[in-house]
Amino acid sequence: MLILGAMGLIAAFGGIGLWLAARVRRRPEEIRVLLTALALLDTDIYWGATPLPEAFSGIANRVEGPWRSFFAEVKERIEMGEAAWPAWKETIARQTGAFALKPEDWLIVLDIGKGLGRSDQQEQHKQLEMVQKQLALLREQVVIWAEKQAKMWAYMGFLVGCASAIFLI
Amino acid sequence: MPLHYVNSRKPARSVSSSNGDDGAVEAGFGWDEFLGWFGGRPGQILARTEVAPVQVEEIRLRVNQPLLLRLTGEDLFLDRTGQPAPAQDAYRVELSDLAETMDRLTQSSLYAAAENLRQGFLTLPGGHRVGITGEAVMKQGSLQTIKHITGLNFRLAQDIRALGLDILPHLISSERRLHHTIILSAPRAGKTTLLRALIRWLSNGVPELGLPGQAVGVVDERGELAGLWQGVPAYDLGRRTDVLGSCPKALGMGMLIRSMGPEVVAVDEVGHAEDVAAIAEALRSGVSILSTAHAGSLEEARCRPILRDLLVGGIFERAVLLSRRRGPGTVESVLDLARGQEVRPWGRVANR
Repeated sequence: MLILGAMGLIAAFGGIGLWLAARVRRRPEEIRVLLTALALLDTDIYWGATPLPEAFSGIANRVEGPWRSFFAEVKERIEMGEAAWPAWKETIARQTGAFALKPEDWLIVLDIGKGLGRSDQQEQHKQLEMVQKQLALLREQVVIWAEKQAKMWAYMGFLVGCASAIFLI
Repeated sequence: MPLHYVNSRKPARSVSSSNGDDGAVEAGFGWDEFLGWFGGRPGQILARTEVAPVQVEEIRLRVNQPLLLRLTGEDLFLDRTGQPAPAQDAYRVELSDLAETMDRLTQSSLYAAAENLRQGFLTLPGGHRVGITGEAVMKQGSLQTIKHITGLNFRLAQDIRALGLDILPHLISSERRLHHTIILSAPRAGKTTLLRALIRWLSNGVPELGLPGQAVGVVDERGELAGLWQGVPAYDLGRRTDVLGSCPKALGMGMLIRSMGPEVVAVDEVGHAEDVAAIAEALRSGVSILSTAHAGSLEEARCRPILRDLLVGGIFERAVLLSRRRGPGTVESVLDLARGQEVRPWGRVANR
């Protein structure tokens, strides 16, 4: 019974650790998907002069995970008559919880919305290119960070489980 | 202009006319179609006004100036409650109203409307047009865009079914072919509306006149004539009409003639040298031309180099002169340009 209890404890803490590790690993993945979305947006604006709602609709259909509903909501808001910047800002405020991104990531994401749609194609292209470079750099750092953090949480979960089991026994 | 721009936009959902202190009001008098385009207070005011859109020719938003509705023969200023008011008591349009309206008109995508801004107007679904004033940004001598937008003029397009039927017999030859016709008038006198009606009659045919339906090609450079909406004309231009939207006239006429084999080619607002060349080229292919141009009178048209070439050069056979004397669409005369005389004395002919 005692052994079963100890194993259950280890499994529970281990599971929490693995869950946290998986969440940490989602961060670089979400940045990667955002980079893809921005590349699509840039193409739509620069080569197609596609209006934002149409471009966001296309992106929402082509990306996975939480960004899908993010872009779908921004599109919906603009179609309802909101300007792009408040729509972007409000959507971030509403959907932050669905992402594994950190506040410093959101600062960059927030900046994307500030100039959206407010200038000509060249200017939009420059802004999107700049933010893509920023995100690419961030992602490089985040990939290394996430790998370390994920390992740490995975090990720590099981270790804390073991320690608790020993302590209780 | 990117084709999909005009075709993909749809009005934002109508603004709520609730403003907290005044309570909510349902948009009435048929404004629902239009309210989604207006941001800020003007949308709420229009939702409350008792003036019906069918009476309105233009809605003018000028920064720091009263909100103005231009009706046939009358200007109305509206106050915050949507009621007609003296200019000093009327609602003064704010910069934020214009900014919000522009966001709605362009769906926050100014870059997608760049070509339209260069021309100084946006075309809305339904053929309505919004003129834009502000600060022009020039680059190497040509207009790049308009910034600091300070004035918007919504011109509401009208579609009147019976219009043009009474002048049609005078534009048709004994062989049931349309004479090359140009409709001349000052702005806001109903040129485009009449052109649209004539296209429909020609396309559907008029059995009473022994006029069979003809294939009509329309080059709708400004998107105003057909009011293209997701590629489909918002206006009924007839059963045998092909529309080439957002394409320069000079380019589009040749394309239509080669690809669709029209018997009549219709274009709105000719005025450039390349338009004249394209019309002359089209004549060689045997199509009839139906067109409009800005000119208050035949004399005025003849004073303009481009129009003079069209009128004196024997290209056009008929000229229809419109005015606003008895409201938009008043036909002043139909002229036989070859003979230099009126087809018949003309009173008020156009029915509205």
